[in-house]
Amino acid sequence: MLDRVLSRKRLLELVDELAHARRIVGPVKQNDHYFYEPVDRADRLDLDFSYCVYGPKAFLLPPTQTLFRFKQHAGTFETTPEHNDEPLGIIGVHPCDVNAIRLLDHAFANTHPDEHYLTRRRQTFIVGIDCPGPCTEGVFCGDMHGNEATTGFDVMCYPLSRDDTGGDVRYGVVFGTDAGREFILYAQAGDPPSVEDERAFERYQIEKQAAFPQQIPYGVDTLPDLLERSYDSLLWQATARRCYSCGSCNLSCPTCYCFNMFDEQELALGTGERKREWDGCQLRSFAEVAGGHNFREAPASRLRHRIYRKAKWVKEREGIAGCVGCARCDRACTAKISSVEIYNQLAEER
Amino acid sequence: MRPRIAIFSLTSCEGCSLAILELEDQLLSILDAVEIVNFREGMTERSWDIDIGFVDGAVSTPEDKREVEHFRECCTKLVAIGACACLGGLNTLKNYQDEDEYRAYVYGDCAKYFPTTPAQPISAVVNVDHELPGCPMVKEEFLKFVTFALAGRTFKLPEDPVCVECKKKGILCLYEKGIICLGPITRGGCNAICPSYGAKCEGCRGIVAEDALKAAGVNLREQYDVDLADVLADVRMFGAYQEKTLP
Repeated sequence: MLDRVLSRKRLLELVDELAHARRIVGPVKQNDHYFYEPVDRADRLDLDFSYCVYGPKAFLLPPTQTLFRFKQHAGTFETTPEHNDEPLGIIGVHPCDVNAIRLLDHAFANTHPDEHYLTRRRQTFIVGIDCPGPCTEGVFCGDMHGNEATTGFDVMCYPLSRDDTGGDVRYGVVFGTDAGREFILYAQAGDPPSVEDERAFERYQIEKQAAFPQQIPYGVDTLPDLLERSYDSLLWQATARRCYSCGSCNLSCPTCYCFNMFDEQELALGTGERKREWDGCQLRSFAEVAGGHNFREAPASRLRHRIYRKAKWVKEREGIAGCVGCARCDRACTAKISSVEIYNQLAEER
Repeated sequence: MRPRIAIFSLTSCEGCSLAILELEDQLLSILDAVEIVNFREGMTERSWDIDIGFVDGAVSTPEDKREVEHFRECCTKLVAIGACACLGGLNTLKNYQDEDEYRAYVYGDCAKYFPTTPAQPISAVVNVDHELPGCPMVKEEFLKFVTFALAGRTFKLPEDPVCVECKKKGILCLYEKGIICLGPITRGGCNAICPSYGAKCEGCRGIVAEDALKAAGVNLREQYDVDLADVLADVRMFGAYQEKTLP
């Protein structure tokens, strides 16, 4: 069911309104690739983007971030936490990245609520743009159900009619939050959906179902069991001999949320900052502990760990899939290691 | 008491020594924290009672060898700074050429007055406590090293390759443009300075780990249509790989 229909022109006008109160980030084309970039005007956004090289994660979980400042004071330490509560609008988020943010939300809110993440997240407004088909070759979002977002956005825009001659796009809009509802209705933008609009939306959904090719023929639901039985497969070793342990798969993944913490002291030693930075389970020192022992010294054990996280463990622990199928890991891998290939090869071994 | 610091140079451009002077905003804090007692690039006074000695440059002449042995005797801790001191650096390019030819090219008729040896990292000659690689050395890493020394913390070089920093900076992987970049096999910590400006990583901070070099051998043979000799020439440039061959 749609909540509203809206032209792209009107949507961009609303984004320009939003820019008075929020920093706006969205897909911008640079040479032949799209990146999430801050923009000062909505018309700099390219909402027809195929995919962004990296997801919008960096705006919620910065690559490096100060958690608190410390100061030595009368034999003890004085600490001042640092939070970023600058209002942010991320415009043009595909369902895969919406789902990835949903996982981050869950991971950072549960067990140990992370105020640094949650403060930013509370101040973030998300406008999703749905994908009528795969954005590029090799994505397996259809298999992972990453191509369908039902929550995690403030509004989601479905491009019901596309005009390839450069004319306007007509979006069917679904509200995800009250803020999303206000964003559209306060401005009285767009129209209530007509019966034809609802029919167009139904057609859109049916065509979309057919548009995503199946990449994992045995089905994603078989993966946890498959992996359970494949712990000792020779495939890990055979594939990992190509692995550089460069962590590119982790760091370009929109759902990877692991981080490392460290202290940065001033030369005078009395003051400094505790920071965190992105980490990745494929990096050599990721599982190294005090005393120098490394729980996953071999590249093969690190590769297996990542694949288990993506298709089994995260789902079991968080109840949300650890992978949205965007295939950024596969594209980022200069050794051309593909997670889809790994799943399918393991299935064929059985 | 402030630690007594010295900065020495062997065969090099002394750019790493200069990098210390380029820490302009921190220079006064550095001088508050340490006492610099011997620094050819920065002062005339000289003392040989030294807690931490930093050395840039490769051992490339018999005199370099004598000098670095003397530094070692005078310094409680010896730290190699820059690609030349850590890996041999650009100087090692001569190791692949005919000695008479390159000496004649550089020194002309006077070649006989300038004895030379194959270029080596200083760790090939004396025991080195720490290495801060890069061409030039990363000056922020130098500052971090000094801070760690003052705080009594154990300093470790980053064990992640350059790719990590490209991803953190959100820049497009050069492999997407068909460029064979040495990022995946090269020790990071440089903030991916070369790829940030569109230039491929040339490995000035050395090979990050043996298994990465092995993976490169497999991938370049099986996954890419490239001339391995070209890639090896790149890896060789800063002496990162010395006699090792791609497996």
